[in-house]
Amino acid sequence: MIKQSIIENVLEAALSTGGDFSEVFIEDKFTNMMELQGGKIEKSISGRDFGIGIRIFSGLQSIYTYTTDFTEEGLVNAAKRAALAIKGGGSGTIHPLRKETFPTIHKISQMPQTVEHARKAAVMKKANEIARNYDARIKQAELRYIDEEQNVLIANSEGKFVEDTRVHSRLSIQATASDGIEMQTGFYAPAAHAGFEFIENLDLNHYAGEAARIAVTMLEADECPSGKFQVIIDNKFGGVIFHEACGHGLEATAVAKNNSVFANRIGEKVASDIVTYIDDGTLPNEWGSLNVDDEGEKTRKNVLIENGILKGYLIDKFNARRMNAETTGSSRRESYRYSPTSRMTNTYIALGKSTPEEIIASTERGIYARYMGGGQVNPATGDYNFAVAEAYLVKDGKIDRPVRGATLIGNGAKTLQLVDMVGNNLAHGAGMCGAMSGSLPVNVGQPMIRVSEITVGGTKGE
Amino acid sequence: MTINEFQKKLLAEAMETGFKEAEVYYEKSESFRVMIFKGEIDSYETSEEGGLGFRGLYNGKMGYAYTEKIEESSIAFLIDSAKANADVLDEDDGTDIFEGSEIYAGHDFYSEELAQVSILEKIELIKSIERKVFAYDSRIITLDYCMLQDFSEERVMANNKSLSLNEKQNGLIIYISAVVKDGEEMKTGRFGKMTRNFAELDADAIAKEVAEEALSNLGEQSIPTRKYPIIMRHDASASLLAAFTPIFSAENTQMGQSLLKGKVGEKIAADTFTLLDDPSHPDAIAGSNFDGEGVATKKRAIVSCGTLETLLHNRKTAKKDGVETTGHAHKSSYKSTLTIAPLNMYIAPGNRSKEDLIASMEEGVFITDLSGLHSGASTVSGDFSIAATGFHIKDGKIASAVKQMTIAGNFFDYLKDIEEAGSDLKFMPGGYGSPSLVVKELSVTVD
Repeated sequence: MIKQSIIENVLEAALSTGGDFSEVFIEDKFTNMMELQGGKIEKSISGRDFGIGIRIFSGLQSIYTYTTDFTEEGLVNAAKRAALAIKGGGSGTIHPLRKETFPTIHKISQMPQTVEHARKAAVMKKANEIARNYDARIKQAELRYIDEEQNVLIANSEGKFVEDTRVHSRLSIQATASDGIEMQTGFYAPAAHAGFEFIENLDLNHYAGEAARIAVTMLEADECPSGKFQVIIDNKFGGVIFHEACGHGLEATAVAKNNSVFANRIGEKVASDIVTYIDDGTLPNEWGSLNVDDEGEKTRKNVLIENGILKGYLIDKFNARRMNAETTGSSRRESYRYSPTSRMTNTYIALGKSTPEEIIASTERGIYARYMGGGQVNPATGDYNFAVAEAYLVKDGKIDRPVRGATLIGNGAKTLQLVDMVGNNLAHGAGMCGAMSGSLPVNVGQPMIRVSEITVGGTKGE
Repeated sequence: MTINEFQKKLLAEAMETGFKEAEVYYEKSESFRVMIFKGEIDSYETSEEGGLGFRGLYNGKMGYAYTEKIEESSIAFLIDSAKANADVLDEDDGTDIFEGSEIYAGHDFYSEELAQVSILEKIELIKSIERKVFAYDSRIITLDYCMLQDFSEERVMANNKSLSLNEKQNGLIIYISAVVKDGEEMKTGRFGKMTRNFAELDADAIAKEVAEEALSNLGEQSIPTRKYPIIMRHDASASLLAAFTPIFSAENTQMGQSLLKGKVGEKIAADTFTLLDDPSHPDAIAGSNFDGEGVATKKRAIVSCGTLETLLHNRKTAKKDGVETTGHAHKSSYKSTLTIAPLNMYIAPGNRSKEDLIASMEEGVFITDLSGLHSGASTVSGDFSIAATGFHIKDGKIASAVKQMTIAGNFFDYLKDIEEAGSDLKFMPGGYGSPSLVVKELSVTVD
C-alpha cells in the first residue's frame, strides 16, 4: 500500500525525540451500503477509506496521530509533529522490517467488491418479502446490507511487518408490526467475517421470519411487571449481558488503571463455579474473528474465567507496560482514526450441562429473555442495564405470556456469582461494540443460562 | 493534485459521462486530544484528515460515492461507483441537486481566539482540573476519564448549478468522569462541556461540579417500586429528547415509523411544551448556515405550546408532503447519504429555577442521568424503559440518592404529562438542549 522505505522513514521520524516504540497502521477500506424501505432499494453508497495512524510510546505515555495525507512528506511531518509531544524520553532504535506471514484462518470465497449490486439487492428483496408476508400486521420492513473489505498494513520499530485483509458482511432486518394503534418492532442482523457467500447462503426464512415474529409477538405482549425475578437468558445474542457486565471489566483499558472490579484479582473466585468465560478471535469466519489483531499479533483463544476463577485479561501492547504482562492478541481499533486498545473478539460462556427444558421447568417465577436488545455498563462500578427485545413471564416451570418493556439492571460482579444454571446449547450472536477505540464487530455467545435474581424494570409495577 | 483541481475535474468528468446533475462535498478537519491520568499525559492524539463525497443524478436516480484518497485515479472510482449505486435504486429518489437559497444567515461558527490557544495552555487546564478534583474530597479515588479535545473543520459544497458554499467551525470539548468510594459503595459522576470560548472554562468550577456530582450519588437508599412524580434534570431531559428526535422526522412519518404521522397542526404535548430548533443559538455549538443539501437554515418552532407546527424535512420529504423544506437535510459526513436531523433542538425554558421546582414537590424522584437509551427506547412505539440515576424528593427536599433504578413510560404520553419547564436551559455537547422538567409520573423500579 505504501513503500517499505517510506514506512521505515516514518517509524524513524516518530522516534526522533526519544520515543521507545513506534508503529504505523495503514488502512485501505472499501465499503458498500444499501438500504431497502417500502420494498424498494432507496439508498446505496460506496466508498473508500484510506488513512494512516502513527503511534509512539515513551514509557507510559502514548502518542497517536492520524492523517489522510499519504505523501512521504505528509507522513514524515505528521510523525515528527506527534513526536514533539515527547520530552526527554529514552532512545529508540528501529529494527529492520521482516514481513511475517501467517495462515489465513478465515477464508473468503466471494469478495464483496466483485459482486454486482443487483445480487445484493435481490437478497434484500427476498428477505423483505418473507418478513412482509409473515403476518398481515407487518406493515413495514427495513433492510440494511453492508459489506467491507479492510486491507491493513501494520509495521513497528521492533521489526514487525504484517498485512491482512478483513472482510465483513451483514444483513440487518427490522420488521414493524402495527394493529392500527400501537407499533412494535423486531430485529435480527446476522453477520460474519466472510464474503458474499455468507449473505447468499443465509436462511432468510429463519432470520426475516424471526424479525417479523418478534414484532407481532410484542404487539400482543402485556406490560412487563417490575421487581426481582429469576431470569433465564437464551443462547446466542443473550451473551451480550456478560459482554457488558463482565467482558469490558476484563479489558486492560479498565484493569491497568484499577478502574475495574476485576483488577488485581487473578486466581480469585469471581463467578459461580459453573461459569467459564472465553474470548476467542480464531473461530472460523465468526463476526468478531481476525487473523491478526490491529497490532499485528495473531489472535488466540483466551480463557478469562474458568469454573468461576479469574484466569486472565485481554491485554494490548500499551497497557501491557503498565500491567507488566504479555499481550493477548486482542488489540483492536475501528479504523486508522483510533489508537488500538484491548477489546473483545468473540466472547462466550462455555457449554454447561442443563437442557433448556430443564432450566425452564425448574423456574418458579421468572422472566425468560428470548432475545436481548442492547445495553450499557458503567465500567467503574460494573452497574449495567439491558433492554430485552422479546421477553416472557415464566410461572411454575412453564413459559406463560409475552411481556414488553423489560429492562434488566444489576451489577456485573454480583450477577456472575448468581448464575445458577448453564445450558448445553452454546451459540453465538453478532453485535457492534462501541468503546475507546471505536465501534467494532464482536460476537457474544452463551448457552441458555439462568440467574437466580435480577431486578427487572417494567411499566406495570410489582 | 490539490482538492480544488480534483473537485473541478470530478464535476467536469461527471457531466461528460452521463450525469445530469452533480455535487461534491468536501470536509477537512484537524483535531487534538489529550487524556490525563494522575498528573501525567496518558494519551495524546493529533489528526489531519479530509474526505470527499460525490453524488449525482444518473438516469434520473441519485448515486452516491466517497473517498479519502484524493488522487487522480479516485475520479474514475467515484464516477463508476456512483453510477452503480444509482442503477440499483428502484426509483427516482425524488431529489435533485439544489441551486441554492437566496440568502444565507452568515453566522460565525469559528473562533479565532480559540484557534490561538496553545496546546500547552489546554494541557495545563485539563491537568489543573484533574488536580482540583482529587483535592476536592478524599473519597475521590480516581478519574476514569479526564479528556480535553478540540477540533476545527471546514466544509465545502459545490455543484454543477454554480452553488458554492463553505463554512468553518471549531470547538473544544471537556469530558471528565470521577469515581468516588465510601466503604463498599462506589459511584461515578460525569461532566461534559463543548464550547468555543476557552476563557469561560473555570477549572475550579468544573472540578467542583464533577466532584459534587459524583459525591452526591453516595449514600444511596432504596425506595418502593411504583409510579412517582418526576423532575428530569436539564441534561437527562435533553438526552431523552435526543433519543426520541427521530419521531419528528418526516422520513419516519412517511415510512410509517413515527406515530406523529398526520399530526401536524394537532396537539401532541402539554401547553407547557415548546420545542425549537435554532441553528445559531449562542449557547450551543452544533449550528450551521446551510443543511446537507445546501438549503439555508433558520430558527423554527417544531412544537408551540403543545401543538405540532411542523415535522423536520429535507427537500425529498417536503416534496412528498407538498410543503417547503425546513432545512433539516443531514449529512453526518462526506461518507453519508442524506437523512434528517435538527441542528440545535431544545425545549423552551420556563420561569422557575430547578431548586424551586424541587421545593414545590411533595414526593417524587429527581432524575440526573439516563443510561441505555440506545437500546431501551423505541422511537417507533414511543416506549422506553431505561436505567436512571437520581434522588428521592421528600417534602420539597432532596432526601437521598436512590439505588440503581429504571424509569419506564411512553414518550408520547410523557410529552402530554410535562407540567412545567424550569428556567435552567442548558445544551449538551451534541446540540440538544433542555431546562429541567416536571413530569406528572413515570414507573420507577428500584434495585
